[in-house]
Amino acid sequence: MSQLNKNLDMKKIYSNYTFVFSFLVLVVIATAINHSFLSWTNLSTLMLQSSIKGIIALGMTLIIISGQIDLSVGSQCALVAGLGVVVLNRTESPLIMLLFCMAFGALLGTVNGLITNKGKMAPFIVTLATMSAYRSIIVQLGQGGPFNVEMKILMSFRKIAAGKILGMPNLAIIFIIITILMVILVKYTKFGRYVYAVGSNENATFLTGVNVVKVKTLCFTLTGFLTGIASFLLSSRLTSITAANVGMSFELDAIAAVAIGGTSMSGGRGKIMGTFLGAIMLQMIEGILIAARIPPFLSGLVKGIIIILAVIFQSKKGND
Amino acid sequence: MLLEMKNIVKCFGPVQALKDVSLNVDKGEIHGLLGENGAGKSTLMNILAGTFPPTQGEIFFNGKKIEDLNTKKTQGMGIRFIHQELNLVNDLTVYENLFLGEELLNKYGFLDKKEMIKKSREILEKMNLDIEPETEVRHLETSRKQLVEIAKALLFDAKLIIMDEPTTALTNKEIEMLFVLMRRLKEQGVAMIYISHKMPELFSICDRYTVLRDGKFIESGYFKDINERKATELLVGRCIENEKIEKEKISNEVLMEVKNIGSEGKFKEISFDLKKGEVIAITGLHGDGRDQLAEALYGVCKMDSGEVWVNGRKLGYKSIKDTVKNGISMVQRNRKERSIIKDMSILNNFSVSRFVSKHKKMFIDDKLEMERFNARKKEMSTKIGHHNDYITSLSGGNQQKIIIGRCLELNTDVIILDNPTQGIDVGAKFEIYKIINELAKTGKGIIIFSSEYPEINKVADRCFIMYKGRINKELTRDEFSEINIMHYATGANMEEKI
Repeated sequence: MSQLNKNLDMKKIYSNYTFVFSFLVLVVIATAINHSFLSWTNLSTLMLQSSIKGIIALGMTLIIISGQIDLSVGSQCALVAGLGVVVLNRTESPLIMLLFCMAFGALLGTVNGLITNKGKMAPFIVTLATMSAYRSIIVQLGQGGPFNVEMKILMSFRKIAAGKILGMPNLAIIFIIITILMVILVKYTKFGRYVYAVGSNENATFLTGVNVVKVKTLCFTLTGFLTGIASFLLSSRLTSITAANVGMSFELDAIAAVAIGGTSMSGGRGKIMGTFLGAIMLQMIEGILIAARIPPFLSGLVKGIIIILAVIFQSKKGND
Repeated sequence: MLLEMKNIVKCFGPVQALKDVSLNVDKGEIHGLLGENGAGKSTLMNILAGTFPPTQGEIFFNGKKIEDLNTKKTQGMGIRFIHQELNLVNDLTVYENLFLGEELLNKYGFLDKKEMIKKSREILEKMNLDIEPETEVRHLETSRKQLVEIAKALLFDAKLIIMDEPTTALTNKEIEMLFVLMRRLKEQGVAMIYISHKMPELFSICDRYTVLRDGKFIESGYFKDINERKATELLVGRCIENEKIEKEKISNEVLMEVKNIGSEGKFKEISFDLKKGEVIAITGLHGDGRDQLAEALYGVCKMDSGEVWVNGRKLGYKSIKDTVKNGISMVQRNRKERSIIKDMSILNNFSVSRFVSKHKKMFIDDKLEMERFNARKKEMSTKIGHHNDYITSLSGGNQQKIIIGRCLELNTDVIILDNPTQGIDVGAKFEIYKIINELAKTGKGIIIFSSEYPEINKVADRCFIMYKGRINKELTRDEFSEINIMHYATGANMEEKI
């Protein structure tokens, strides 16, 4: 009997933390291909590269757990970053730019959330529309050209994303801090509890008195806010924002990170830690592809296959 | 004899849904098929429709033995079904729906739209309906849709029409029209099987009856030889258990007053009061407005008129949270769809309502959550594994106890229970009745919406019976009996017969 219980427990742990196992498997593969994979330089580069998309994916996790989707994060990123650079050039203050990015990102997210939930429309359609709209606005504002950070502040602004503290890239530190805050939000606040409840059974959650529209809208707001932070960091990293292609396919990467991280695509189940590792895994896979000399044009194909595999895996688990 | 179903037996695994049932229908006869929910009416009709074969027994139609029934075959023989639930496609027009699956083609093999519209118009005119065949079905009212459904059955030359509660969505005037039509069909020699719970209708339109109970054939005969009381007796069975539980005396202090509330097309003129420590039951047949009334009292379904007062305060029904704050909480019907949050643990399912309405802080208090859970678990003798297991790991009865616990955590003066023992075993049912009676003793007011007589008898002090959206009758405890309740729920007391 106790043996049986143990087996059940193991099974439960496995099904709850599959993403840790897949992470370990990937680490083994990566180390086999690239012997210096586990070196400090390599690991910190990996963290650096996965952090910006990772921050967006953290927000996407909430949206997907609540049973929704946001396809507009890439366009949001371009719009916020482009205008953010304008703000920076005018004020010469990175702090004001950061505040602007956070507020403006939150606004764009809230627009998505309100149209979806007040208007009772499918989030897939709404964010497909805003994906096109947000991108179009910034391309028009830039008249096709890039938004460049002016020379006088370029060097100091650049340091934000390029800098390190105790050998750890700033971006990685910010990613980790935001992950911790998100874990706290999801696990220890009422809001976090409601996000899961809404995604699992919206009707039942509504009948307990939860303001379902508010909760679902706030998921979008928060994602917009995090996308704002990501846009700020991206601007610092690139210092030149080409409106037409900055943030391209970020939604794909964010959704892929969430899916690999074990979050149920139909809502109700998922973990922030899963997405954290999911974002890193996605970056690792890209590294492995390069090391294995697979043409970079095919990385989209590989990502597409990975998303589908992750979702198949998820739905198998759901049937148990 | 047009249709003979002889000694039909149907088993689903070990469950015997039909035990030796026979049904005979003559040409030009309207035959009433009576039985409570779950008596086997639908199973019998499904066998006739060819949905599944009988385990044993024979079917004769027009004197010929028929086997291997399927939907196409029954339609070919001239048997037509009018289903209780609406089977129309909203996006299609009336005529497209009428001919769905049996479209007329012209000589080139394309749809013959003209002919179909013409035929549709003929049948609609014959039914005295001013519906244009080219209107989209979505624009029709429910009663109109039901009539289109009936038209569909009449469109092709039918020999036998089966009507499964065709009048639930119709107004009295439309019912009259339907009956005129049915009598005309009868004169043409068409036979009909009429399934309904409504006694006045059965007595006014049907010639003979067959009563089923618990999958068994009970009796067949002529309606003219019996009265409604007798029919109700046949329906529920002669030996009716009369066990009564002694109830404590209830105080005279009024807790809740419902004053003349109504909601367009759902229910109207509902008034009652609820005293401290009292349990009232509200019952009625499916579709008579009971579900909507329960939702309206909780603030989910809007009311157009009337007022609800609790503890001397009028309810504004701004939100569910507001309703709870004003003293009403509710256990929902359909546990799986309306209560269970399937991806969450037992503990989190239990505590969600409390966090919504009682917990002011942003962060969750783990320790308090656990304390409340353990206290309630003991009180309600719930058997669970680990509190972090998914709620779906529990049996239906224990799930429901967790959900009732969720509601009790709100500690409101009035508790509404909507069909609280749906789909749970007898033992758990009994424990839930115990919980209800205990709650009443502590001075709570309880409203239970139920369709099960034994349940009403075990817990209620008074019972309100709904019929067609109104309260037809209020019974006090010493007037409770299954026959009495069925009598009023079927509208058998209504003087104006149709």
